[in-house]
Amino acid sequence: MGDYMELMDKLKVLADSAKYDVSCVSSGSSRKNKPGGIGSSMPAGICHTFSGDGRCISLLKILMSNCCIYDCAYCVNRISNDLPRTAFTPDEIADLTINFYRRNYIEGLFLSSAVVKSPDHTMELIIRVVRRLREDYRFNGYIHIKAIPGADAALIEEAGSYVDRMSVNIELPTSDGLRLLAPQKKKEAILGPMGFISSKINETSDNKRRFRNSPEFVPAGQSTQLIVGATEDHDLGILKLSEGLYKRFGMRRVFYSAYVPVSNHPALPQAVKPPLLREHRIYQADWLLRFYGFKAEELLDESHKDFDTQLDPKCDWALRNLEQFPIEVNKADYFLLLRVPGIGVRSAQRIVKARMVQKLDFADIKKLGVVLKRARFFITCKGKYIDKLDASEDFIRINILAGSKQPPMVEPGYTQLSFLPPSNQAMLQGLRPWMALSAPTGEDVAASMTGEL
Amino acid sequence: MLTYIYDGSFEGILTAVFEAFSRKQVPDAILSEHGLQQDITSSYIFIDTDCAKSDRVYNSIWRNISEDALKNCYHAFLSEDPQAGTLIYRYLKLGWRMGSRVDLHLSDNTVFNMMSINRKLEFEVHRLTGFVRFRQVEGGIFYSTISPDNNVVELLAPHFAERLSDQPWIIHDIKREIAALYNTKTWIVSEFSADDIPLSTEDEKLYSVLWKQFFKTLSIPSRENPKLQRQLLPRRYWDHLTEKW
Repeated sequence: MGDYMELMDKLKVLADSAKYDVSCVSSGSSRKNKPGGIGSSMPAGICHTFSGDGRCISLLKILMSNCCIYDCAYCVNRISNDLPRTAFTPDEIADLTINFYRRNYIEGLFLSSAVVKSPDHTMELIIRVVRRLREDYRFNGYIHIKAIPGADAALIEEAGSYVDRMSVNIELPTSDGLRLLAPQKKKEAILGPMGFISSKINETSDNKRRFRNSPEFVPAGQSTQLIVGATEDHDLGILKLSEGLYKRFGMRRVFYSAYVPVSNHPALPQAVKPPLLREHRIYQADWLLRFYGFKAEELLDESHKDFDTQLDPKCDWALRNLEQFPIEVNKADYFLLLRVPGIGVRSAQRIVKARMVQKLDFADIKKLGVVLKRARFFITCKGKYIDKLDASEDFIRINILAGSKQPPMVEPGYTQLSFLPPSNQAMLQGLRPWMALSAPTGEDVAASMTGEL
Repeated sequence: MLTYIYDGSFEGILTAVFEAFSRKQVPDAILSEHGLQQDITSSYIFIDTDCAKSDRVYNSIWRNISEDALKNCYHAFLSEDPQAGTLIYRYLKLGWRMGSRVDLHLSDNTVFNMMSINRKLEFEVHRLTGFVRFRQVEGGIFYSTISPDNNVVELLAPHFAERLSDQPWIIHDIKREIAALYNTKTWIVSEFSADDIPLSTEDEKLYSVLWKQFFKTLSIPSRENPKLQRQLLPRRYWDHLTEKW
């Protein structure tokens, strides 16, 4: 091993610069080991450890170099930032990857780079690393690389034949944001390679169907990342963008990263804390797009441009669409079940399985993992609600927020208001008195059941 | 209370199941002789493990219920849950009545318990495929220690035998004093004690320090969230993680 201290210093700098890239996913590829080779990939991916911020670490995530020619305001590596500059040699990276891999520290390599000299030059450096790993070391573990915007298509194509996943970061949700904060990057330079990668992927999978041994091209697909909270964009714009990326480019994942202030550029918000809750809500909505059959326009619209901070996007949607409920657990199809707050992918799958052999009751679905605290307002089992319930939006909202384990009846004199933050107290002022402060009468319940409120 | 006692082996449980049917008894519990606490209100029957009998049960599970059911039973056994024997017996009784559809009865307590024991075990196996940490010792062997909740070395071994096929390795379960040993061709599980582990190589120190540095660097201070970290990486695994030494 060459100069150990030098390597240590490089690792410090180049891992530090890479850490704002969110993706550390090692899934989607099922590369098998070959005789004399090392490594394999699991389709589900494997997390090897979790850093102090709770994020999964599965790949050796480093930059090739942080000597950037660009000056993007949101980026820690911008040319105008006073930062130690350094670069790994391809051999150093290959050696680190293999030795970390042999100790099962990592699942593979995630290699990115600042733009050194030119996009083409940078891409060539990256290709040298992946070629060394795949050809000289016969490494079959996971490799994720960045396609450098503006690099020649032939280089991107060559790189794609070696790696499992390639990504181009879109960084900012609108071209206005891009113009303001990353004046040297053009929307076209980002979407160009994305389109190219996605058409190559389609072409390859076409060929695969016809010829068994046709070469691979990024078998784990492409992903991208955008920063949340660096510009004034609403959640609606972000979600529509993601939806478009999933549809148009067959993107496997869109990652969101709450903006962490790394610069005091005048155009950037000087947020003290990254908007983690907002990031979380957008991730939840992203899941709803990918696995739950929701469309962006269902979750948000012009009159409702940002997610509710208190309720998750599905609950929020359900409350605005109460006319679609209740849903009968024993009859509703899979995708309808998925729309119920408190029923996730796994519990919906279990319900579909279990009801093949018997009619399910509330006690049964609780065992299957349904969160009744939320689901109870939206479902019936064998035609009945779990309890006498008032199905008005405000009532449900209050009870879900209060997280009450009690039956959701509000007893006279017993005030659940104290559970709520002041903003909700204010909201309650506008409610009809019986809703908030006393139990609904039998008549009210009957009326609400039939929708005649 | 009628309790069957078996010798702690999987064959022992299957023999006990066989005996329950052939003696036309319905034992309330099937317990391992290890860690057994007898009480005076129960009557105990010691079951002698008989491979001819356990083979018949084994084949019948495979043929008359499903391969999945066989896997479920074996994994329940590996979980080392004290109730595993009893659970397997009740699950099989249901299974022989319902056939391969037994696993659909998720809301039945027995099936539910069987599934959750299996889920816990499989989750731990999956976690450990990531959490195992090898260090290279003199002689070029890659050595690692684990102390998992379930007895899972034999389920981990195939994963590493494929992935790290060109290096000899040892995965040592220090809690059970057994290890999976791989010599670049095949792996076996055998009893193993930690007395004769050679020292780490020189290279080893370098890479482990580099790894620790990498691990430390990757956390974003303004997103610090130790609670989430502990939830995803429970404390009980930390002793064996290079980055947490």
